[in-house]
Amino acid sequence: MRARIPSVASSLRCVWALALWGSLVGCVETVPPEMVEAIESLDRDLLHLRAAEVAPGEYASFVHRWVTLRTRVEAEEDTIRWPWEPNDLEAALRQLQAEGARTVARLTEQQDAERRAAARQLAEVEGDAQALASQVRSIDSRLILAEKPVETDLLLKQARAFYEQGRYDQSLQASGHASRHLAAQSALLQRELGRYANPDRIAEWQRMARDTIEWSRTHHTAAIVVSKAERSLTLYRGGQKVLSYPVRLGFNGIKEKRYQGDGATPEGRYRIAGKRGRGQTQYYRALLLDYPNQEDRRQFVNDRKKGRIPAFRSIGGQIEIHGVDNELMAQTLGCVMLENPQMAMLFDRVDNGTPVTIVGALVEHNSVARALANLSPRRDEV
Amino acid sequence: MKIRHVLLSIVGMCLLMSGCAQPPAEQINAAEQAVREAQQSGAATYVANDYAKVEGLLAAMKTEVAEQESKFALLRDYGKAEQLAASAKAEAERVKADAAKKTEEAKFAATQAHQAAQASVASTMDLVAKAPAGKDRAALESIKADADALKASLNDVQMMLDKADYLGAETKAKAIQQKADAVSHEIETALAKIGKGKTVAKRK
Repeated sequence: MRARIPSVASSLRCVWALALWGSLVGCVETVPPEMVEAIESLDRDLLHLRAAEVAPGEYASFVHRWVTLRTRVEAEEDTIRWPWEPNDLEAALRQLQAEGARTVARLTEQQDAERRAAARQLAEVEGDAQALASQVRSIDSRLILAEKPVETDLLLKQARAFYEQGRYDQSLQASGHASRHLAAQSALLQRELGRYANPDRIAEWQRMARDTIEWSRTHHTAAIVVSKAERSLTLYRGGQKVLSYPVRLGFNGIKEKRYQGDGATPEGRYRIAGKRGRGQTQYYRALLLDYPNQEDRRQFVNDRKKGRIPAFRSIGGQIEIHGVDNELMAQTLGCVMLENPQMAMLFDRVDNGTPVTIVGALVEHNSVARALANLSPRRDEV
Repeated sequence: MKIRHVLLSIVGMCLLMSGCAQPPAEQINAAEQAVREAQQSGAATYVANDYAKVEGLLAAMKTEVAEQESKFALLRDYGKAEQLAASAKAEAERVKADAAKKTEEAKFAATQAHQAAQASVASTMDLVAKAPAGKDRAALESIKADADALKASLNDVQMMLDKADYLGAETKAKAIQQKADAVSHEIETALAKIGKGKTVAKRK
């Protein structure tokens, strides 16, 4: 009977064993440290993804919950729990971890999409800018655009810098702005040079050239036709083409001449008003035209009334067909310039009073019209 | 009987005292003020992530206050809200100091970039003045137009600096400098090819 009663020592052993078991199995940490580390890592990822800027509400919510839960984690650091005890802190952290991971995944995807969009748009606009520059170069119309190409270039450089800094939204904004600048340049070129693609205007220029050739035929004498788009000068005699040379125009020659110093070459019917040989001109030899004629004066007065011409500008003059004195002086401000051997040939074949008709273009598919067609229709504005 | 009355009074006093627990208005105001100041110091721009964290703390504090206020008056405890307010205030002050430092750095970088761009543009303008009135007058006029546009763009940088948009100003100034250097190089190449030309004045 006595043997069935457990001794005090054996009871103590049992208690000790239970305590050991409890400390080994039941003494669990409130929150696994790796979970805290995982959330800290997510927080770093969110910072790296600039979540505060791109998803401020979402990030604030994450931070808010993380701060609250971390306070609890710190408070419950020394708490020992039984494994079967419900652990709402761990559950809340697990939920935050899952939501944080989803946010990181979504923002990573969003940032990738933004990066791709910024790269695509930047490449497109840079391509457009190069294409426009190439068309503008082909028709010597850079000056029409004034400061605009530089502004666009600066915007593209900024867009590229923002892209490289990972600021894709700002890159998109800058390249979008550049794209609108390009559209404005395109529109300006169409407005200034649209007449080169206008069939009525071309028909009028063709008529002027035909009349000049017809005059040469009926008067059995010389006549000159200059086409600005084709950059060509053709001499007729008795209505027959005698020679044709390439020419250079004023530095803004493709435009319509409006006033002195604009660098534009005038369009109209003129006559040779004077021949300047060696020593009489700084341009080898020169044929002075009777610009401005009556029509030029009428147009000038009209433009001034409409405010198209600055008040201090005069109509200009001294428009010539001339040669090249030397390479350094080989410039023209609004005239028609030939190489010296060709100038010599022409000089000897014309006289005072020889008609000189300067037109924009003689064919519908001229270089300017082609360039304008290539600019339009442009890609939709970004 | 007397002892029972005393005990009841003590319990009543305790309940009354705990029932009077009020949100820590002073600490909350101080935290909010500190966050506002951090925001005004440019923290949202220059230390955006840290600032977002501060806002997170402030939001956590507000949530805690609201949670306590929703409880039965006798069970309210604003201890944690006080802790959060103190943390938010301390972090906001740190962020404000960081933002001020970063702003100064950004301002310095932008000012430096602006000065470098000004020097480049001035050098370009000098070269334009020396550029030969050579064969390609259109090219020369284009270069002049570019140089004038660059000079005008420097004003935009100054305006950005005045508006404290230092990041934008630095980026634009660097772009201007790059372009000015490119234009200068173009002129130098032309000068090397044909040498200096003489200026010609002619009525056209």
